[in-house]
Amino acid sequence: MSKFIQTLFLILLLSIASFGSDTLPTLTIYTYDAFAVSWGPGPKIKKAFEQEYECNVKFMGLSSSIGALRKIQLEGKNTKADILLGLDTNIAQAAKKTGLFAKHDLNTSNLDLPVPYTDEYFVPYDYSYVAFVYDENKVKNPPTSFEALAAMPEDFKIVIQDPRSSTPGLSLLLWVKEVYKEKAGAYWKKLSPHILTITKGWSESYGLFLKGEADMVLSYTTSPAYHIIEENRTNFKSARFDEGHYGQIEVAAMLKSSKHKELAKNFLHFLHSETFAEIIPTANWAYPVVKTKQGLPEVFETLTQPSKMILLDGKTVELHRKEIINEWLHSLER
Amino acid sequence: MASLIGKIKMLQEVKRLQYSLLPGGFVSLLLLGFAFVLFFILFFSQEDASVAQLDSRVFSLLKFTLYQAFLSTLLSVLVGLVLAWSLAHQSNFKGRSLLVALFSSSLVLPTLIVVFGLISVLGRNGWVNQLNLYLFDHSFGSYLYGLTGILVAHVYLNASFASRSLLHVFESIPKEKYKLAKSLNFTTFQRFIYVEWPALRTTLLSIASTIFLLCFTSFAIVLVLGGSPAYNTLEVAIYEAVKLEFDIGMALKLALIQLAVTTLLVLFSANFRTSVGNVRTSTLSIPWSESKHVKRFQVTMIGLFSLFFILPLLAIIVDGIGAKFTRILTAPLFIKSFFTSMGLATVSSILTVLFALFLSDTKRNFTLKHRLPNNIFSKILNTIISFSGNLYLAVPSLIMGLGFFLLSQTYEAPMAVWSTIALLTANVLMSLPFALAILAPVMQKTGQRYDKLVFSLNLSPWQRWVYCEYPYLKSSIGYVLALSFCFSLGDLGIIALFGSDDFLTLPWYLYQLMGSYRTSDAAGVALILLAITLCVFILLPRLFRSSIAKDN
Repeated sequence: MSKFIQTLFLILLLSIASFGSDTLPTLTIYTYDAFAVSWGPGPKIKKAFEQEYECNVKFMGLSSSIGALRKIQLEGKNTKADILLGLDTNIAQAAKKTGLFAKHDLNTSNLDLPVPYTDEYFVPYDYSYVAFVYDENKVKNPPTSFEALAAMPEDFKIVIQDPRSSTPGLSLLLWVKEVYKEKAGAYWKKLSPHILTITKGWSESYGLFLKGEADMVLSYTTSPAYHIIEENRTNFKSARFDEGHYGQIEVAAMLKSSKHKELAKNFLHFLHSETFAEIIPTANWAYPVVKTKQGLPEVFETLTQPSKMILLDGKTVELHRKEIINEWLHSLER
Repeated sequence: MASLIGKIKMLQEVKRLQYSLLPGGFVSLLLLGFAFVLFFILFFSQEDASVAQLDSRVFSLLKFTLYQAFLSTLLSVLVGLVLAWSLAHQSNFKGRSLLVALFSSSLVLPTLIVVFGLISVLGRNGWVNQLNLYLFDHSFGSYLYGLTGILVAHVYLNASFASRSLLHVFESIPKEKYKLAKSLNFTTFQRFIYVEWPALRTTLLSIASTIFLLCFTSFAIVLVLGGSPAYNTLEVAIYEAVKLEFDIGMALKLALIQLAVTTLLVLFSANFRTSVGNVRTSTLSIPWSESKHVKRFQVTMIGLFSLFFILPLLAIIVDGIGAKFTRILTAPLFIKSFFTSMGLATVSSILTVLFALFLSDTKRNFTLKHRLPNNIFSKILNTIISFSGNLYLAVPSLIMGLGFFLLSQTYEAPMAVWSTIALLTANVLMSLPFALAILAPVMQKTGQRYDKLVFSLNLSPWQRWVYCEYPYLKSSIGYVLALSFCFSLGDLGIIALFGSDDFLTLPWYLYQLMGSYRTSDAAGVALILLAITLCVFILLPRLFRSSIAKDN
């Protein structure tokens, strides 16, 4: 029993020690893991921001951005997070309802976005289009629409993400809903034999796809840029769907309970700086919300350009989200 | 007058046994109290009494959970039976004892490791498919996600476990029976029906009910291989309700349904009496030489299952060896999770042994005739003690986790403290049924053997322990320590609710790595976890080996 108490004591001591060792304020940012990992945008942004403002930045990568939101909800007012980064406009309303987030008072009306977007709590920092990514060497005739996708041979498998935990997963759900309306449930039934597996977050899906477990993965039109720039591989493409592509605007907000509100606000402001906008395309593989002098890397011109951006209003999504998810759950039942 | 004397005698008896009654009684009360608090929290945290509002999703979850548990049990028991039968009749098979020892390690293999290995062998890009592509230019495609994957993994873990216990039954059938059957000129089938089946029946039933419960509450396998909400078990659905949707109301609803079903199952199923002891296989061969065809069939069965069992482990080793160990071993998260895991496993295995010793010490007061009178009162107390030790079967991990989680919402304390308490509790409860099954019979025996001597010499409890109990229990204690250490080390249950960058265990770290396409690091961590598990499972019992306890 004494060993047990010792362990508890040790854990307590360690956590206290880790608090007091540094005098600089630490800005803690919860996000999805692909953002926080060493080869993601996190470390570059941390460096740039720390240089500009005297502080430490700590990125905490969760398996998905909605997962990060849930963690903040679980921790309530005791959360260590100062900022939540990585939700999109579809789920931001749900986050707002928790009452845990603070207003930002920034002017976001001049941003370079394909659609107008203003919100008192959540500020946008990049955007892209949801799309299925495939390997050109393996898939010779990629589907060009949802109909074509469902009509692929039986052994053609895709990996998607759970709309309850992942923002691209939710985007796909809304995309299908927008295209099929009340027939969305029936479409999911038709598509379900092609779904190899549904993962909690984007990176798990993408990992399975790269391991060769599936033919296509739900990702973004901008994902192939990664393979071209980082790996010199041009065989990864995103399938262009005739129906248009669902857009995803990623957003961030600061927490009411944050102990470093000034710093947090500075960070939100930093999201609209040129420094940040230059990091985003080749680190988070998305379009920045601010035009830079450098402009986008050339590779981005080779990427799939959707015929139109489909994007539902956040408030409408929030009204029907549970319903749409339930419809999806029911149509997957066997 | 006589009854008064009887009562006085009994009081004296109780006083003499107080050192044996009190600690176990206290542990039992502690466990039952915990179960009560848990149930109380779960039941009364419901904001609205909407338990009646069960939609079709809940119903289909329950249906699938029962369905896959039934199929898994059926397949595991069938495969286990054929395997045990083959092994029993092929006692001269080379490497047999090594195989049997290996199969018994399935009990402690971290489920996540098994999943990892299975994907490497049977996945779309796995060995089997690649070989097939190379030889016949044909791939079986992806079949491992969904029901097939869940069944394959369950059979992997449970058939080997079942075969181990069944083999023991085969070997304890008196050889005379075989001789008699032989002289009656029985066929192999008749021999099975008349000689072997009657001996197997009870063990088979208790194994089946245990496997059913384990599969009913299966978590890690379903989480990784289930792949779609269509293949969720209740356990995973509870996890998703909390972690994905923050829908505590839904989680509670599911938890109460799960609790109702498991409690019913535990009440109706045979007692948890599966033999899990580290008994060595007998070298006495069955006096019956098999016909050529039967022999061929048996050897094929052993060969196939061995392949099925060993290949995924081999895959972990092959995949793992290529990993960059300097990078893995220096990663702060690895170091953190390593020490957390080792610390938790050490503390919980020691606690498990202590609890199991106290409980079985108390238990024997009610089962040994010369101690307390064998009346209905004793029987009830004995059942209560047994039930408190087997609590885990009725209250699965995730429900426990949910309870702790709700507590942590109400009472403020650092999350690390809550997580530590939750994990320790879960680990101890998880190992207790096995620990009791191993330690209680030995303690019963030493009681029978030494009670009179101890009482007449008036030895103190401590002296009794040093001179009588420990020498006999030593090797069993070693085995229980190893078992519960490995259980704790490999568990991916409650940590899934509590895990974070600040508090993580090796399985959780591995799950994170698998989830973030760092396949090579994941392979390395999987290998490390496998190596630690096997080392502890093989080496720890050796440290406790004693010459006296050999026959126990």
